[in-house]
Amino acid sequence: MSVFKKPGTPLAESTHAVKRTPGQTRRLSSWIIAGILVLASILFFIVAGDDWFAIVNNTLIAALAALALNVLSGYTGQISLGHAFFMAIGAYTAALLGGMSPSSPLDPQGFALPWIIWLPAAGIVAALVGALVGPTALRLKGFYLGIVTLALVFIGHYIFLNLSAVTGGSPGRTFPVPAIGTNTFDQQNTYFGVLLTSGQQYFLLILPVLVLASVFVSNVMRSRTGRAFRAVRDHEVGASMMGVNLFEAKMGAFLLSSFLAGIAGALFASYNSYVIPDYWDLTLSVQFVAAIIIGGAASVWGSLLGAAFVFGLPQVIDHFSLLPPPSGNGGLSSGDLNTLLYGALIILFLLFEPGGMVGLIGRFQRLGRKKASFNAEGGDPAEITDLSSDNHRFIHSE
Amino acid sequence: MNTSSAETHPAKQIASAPPLLSVEDLSVRFAGVTALSGVSFQVLSGELFAVIGPNGAGKTSLFNVLSRVYQPASGRVAFHGGDLLRFKTHQIARAGIARTFQNLGQFPSMSVLDYLLLGRHARMRRGLLSNGLYLGSTRREERVNRVYCLHLLDLLGLTRQSALPLGSLPYGLQKRADLARALAGEPRLLLLDEPVAGMNTEETEEIAAMLVEVQEQLGVTQILVEHDMAMVMGIADRVLVLDFGRIIALDSPAEVQAHPDVIKAYLGEAFEEDANISPTLFPDPGQ
Amino acid sequence: MAYFLQLTFAGIALGSIYALISLGFSLIFKSSGVINFAQGELLLVGAYIVAAGVFEWHLPFLLALLLGIVVTVLIGLLFERVILRHMIGRPTFSILMVTIGLDTILLTSVIVIWGSQPLPAASPFGVTSGFNLDGVHFASNDLWTIGITIVLCALLFGFFRFTRYGLAMRATALDQEAALAVGIPIRRIYALAWGMAAGIATLGGVFLAISSFVITPTLGSAALLAFPAIILGGLDSVSGAVVGGIIIGLALDITAGYESAFASVLGAGFHDIMPYLIMILVLLIRPYGLFGSRKVERL
Repeated sequence: MSVFKKPGTPLAESTHAVKRTPGQTRRLSSWIIAGILVLASILFFIVAGDDWFAIVNNTLIAALAALALNVLSGYTGQISLGHAFFMAIGAYTAALLGGMSPSSPLDPQGFALPWIIWLPAAGIVAALVGALVGPTALRLKGFYLGIVTLALVFIGHYIFLNLSAVTGGSPGRTFPVPAIGTNTFDQQNTYFGVLLTSGQQYFLLILPVLVLASVFVSNVMRSRTGRAFRAVRDHEVGASMMGVNLFEAKMGAFLLSSFLAGIAGALFASYNSYVIPDYWDLTLSVQFVAAIIIGGAASVWGSLLGAAFVFGLPQVIDHFSLLPPPSGNGGLSSGDLNTLLYGALIILFLLFEPGGMVGLIGRFQRLGRKKASFNAEGGDPAEITDLSSDNHRFIHSE
Repeated sequence: MNTSSAETHPAKQIASAPPLLSVEDLSVRFAGVTALSGVSFQVLSGELFAVIGPNGAGKTSLFNVLSRVYQPASGRVAFHGGDLLRFKTHQIARAGIARTFQNLGQFPSMSVLDYLLLGRHARMRRGLLSNGLYLGSTRREERVNRVYCLHLLDLLGLTRQSALPLGSLPYGLQKRADLARALAGEPRLLLLDEPVAGMNTEETEEIAAMLVEVQEQLGVTQILVEHDMAMVMGIADRVLVLDFGRIIALDSPAEVQAHPDVIKAYLGEAFEEDANISPTLFPDPGQ
Repeated sequence: MAYFLQLTFAGIALGSIYALISLGFSLIFKSSGVINFAQGELLLVGAYIVAAGVFEWHLPFLLALLLGIVVTVLIGLLFERVILRHMIGRPTFSILMVTIGLDTILLTSVIVIWGSQPLPAASPFGVTSGFNLDGVHFASNDLWTIGITIVLCALLFGFFRFTRYGLAMRATALDQEAALAVGIPIRRIYALAWGMAAGIATLGGVFLAISSFVITPTLGSAALLAFPAIILGGLDSVSGAVVGGIIIGLALDITAGYESAFASVLGAGFHDIMPYLIMILVLLIRPYGLFGSRKVERL
């Protein structure tokens, strides 16, 4: 009895018979959840006031940025504290391309192009910058890469502070607003007889962008490129031996991550209409890292949950005035509580559940089901930190 | 499973074909340590070739050169007619070399199926954009390759575990999954790094049987680094013995077991001339 | 010329502060491999406690300083024992993020307790105390900073060279498993390293506070410049940390002193990124720093 057949036979024989394979079909539960979300979104859209739209829109934008960071750090294992920098690049590209033409030498530059140009361009320029940074990830690993990305934030800050023609210098500047025809999103407009608020218009732009990005990332992660990313995170040398070109993989991760980060940055700046260069600081980068640790690294849903927690929750607390806003005189403000909370949660999650909230949920699901459950992305949300720094033992021992 | 090597082996019948792998005068040095020195040997296509030696002998360094992780200080390596030393690490998979891991736990969160698909990375082509948009070409490629890998899992008895993360599997199954992954890439040459380390007799026999099947059914050439002498002597066509980075013997299992230098390397000089010792050093593979 | 000397002196003083901070980093990293992002906030807490001690609780300066050291050492020890103990063996980035978590908590706690408005820094020196020589003012604070740093370095040198615990710490830094095998109580070593680092951080914080005249919650961000310092000096070299710190401090002050001449090209704030540019240069050319050991690249 032979254990194997010659290669070639399996392919020819079995392909016709099998239409779907595990890992390719999404389970029924995923469809149900998606359906609930769609209904909830529609309900929200009709019912909510503009203050709630502010909370939700900003959270969705943060979710996009968190997703971008997850691509680079969660899935591919490249430590980055420079996320704020890439978002800023996107924002200022949007400002340069979409801003109004300067009427005086001191005005910020702007070419007054439509959003259909500046929004993708924001992503593309950020991606190009990411492509410049990418090669350093080949030479530097772990902590060193993290420090270089940290340096990026400071160098970026210096550049933005001084490039006042584009950034407005330290006072900051306004950012372009998307428009359809003469309807600019910063005011109420009527479309086909329906009156939409500013928040609603932005929502209709931001949500599809987020959904498209999520689907794209999810597709990548369940195919060849995504497996290569995760292999790079887990064990670079081993991945290399299996045929993964480390340069291509890391560059791909940087490109995709920076692209999405740039778009998120542009959307954020546009929606909040006025941003100062100080905003794109190390704290912002850290908040995104916190978001993917808390939500779940290497997970699309984890990015959303983490962003909701780190960026959405403080706005909700503010909204209900549960705590006073920061006053500078001490006392617990809403921002302080949230910061304390995510600081503590980083520690707690890393200690007890490195898979973040998604990991927790998965654990409960397994308890209920008594066997492993996997989403179509192909695996547990991995620890962001499953880096190969010390996994060289197999080559050492004889 | 009959693992006697005395029976006709496919390897013996193709000794006239040009060697698949040819190593000439290989030397590896790092940090003042000479790991390999003047190593030369050839591996024939379809052969099951074993490399043994005491710890520190240079076996892993040899594998590291063959998988292009190390650059040798000197020497030549020809593989399938080409200069292997000009290959970069990520190019060996495409060329048809696959390597299993000695220690496990490198990819704990990947599912078994994904791991095998990773093993097929070099055999697949679709890139970032096509994957992200999940175009028809990606769809087809994924489906075809998934089916192939599922079939391979079936052959190796791992179907039930296909969706489980590697880290959750018991040790023996992880080793088996690793072997499956190496085979998934349809290699010409399989480098097996201690495939039965830490296994009990039953598991060892299972793997040994699989390796023989791989040789007989798939015709894949194998180079095996192992410490389990009974297993090695039972299935190998030829055995290379390394000690302190040099070759001290290269011959059939029977010859190697009786070789005085080999005995000396493992047991020390006192036993060199005591012919009664050697049978217990290498237990009878017929057991 | 006097200007240049003044800058140099100030740079060395500032560099000594960075040397102290980097020393703290290096102690912890060398003994346990942990990169402590919270070092800056330990510095901050120390400075605030000392200021509170002097202004709120009316303690004499030295007593307040002692109190500050005790509190930060306690925080360091507590963190090491309660949290880091359980993270042994985890990947570097996890541990780094845990220290960032601590950093965040400490910073926010300081803001909650004392607010974010600037507070006066506690100082035992008068503002103008010091002496002048050839047009260069040698401030007392700077002199003390440099002096204390030298003394500390000497003490540490002696500690590592001549005491049992110092030897144990060096052994643990080289190979934790081997140290365990010969019976070194590495848990106690970690605790010792963290305690020492915290205490040194407080000293650094106090000196930094005095030279800034006021303390704000952003004081801790100065510690970030310790990263370029230790990379310049070599991640696994304690003396490298000191030398790196001094060089960074010098680079900062001298650049700051002369950059106005190039303002048209460089704009404002160039000196802030000078250390990072140096760091990137070092990483490109000589990644293991001036005194670091070239890791055998055994892939």
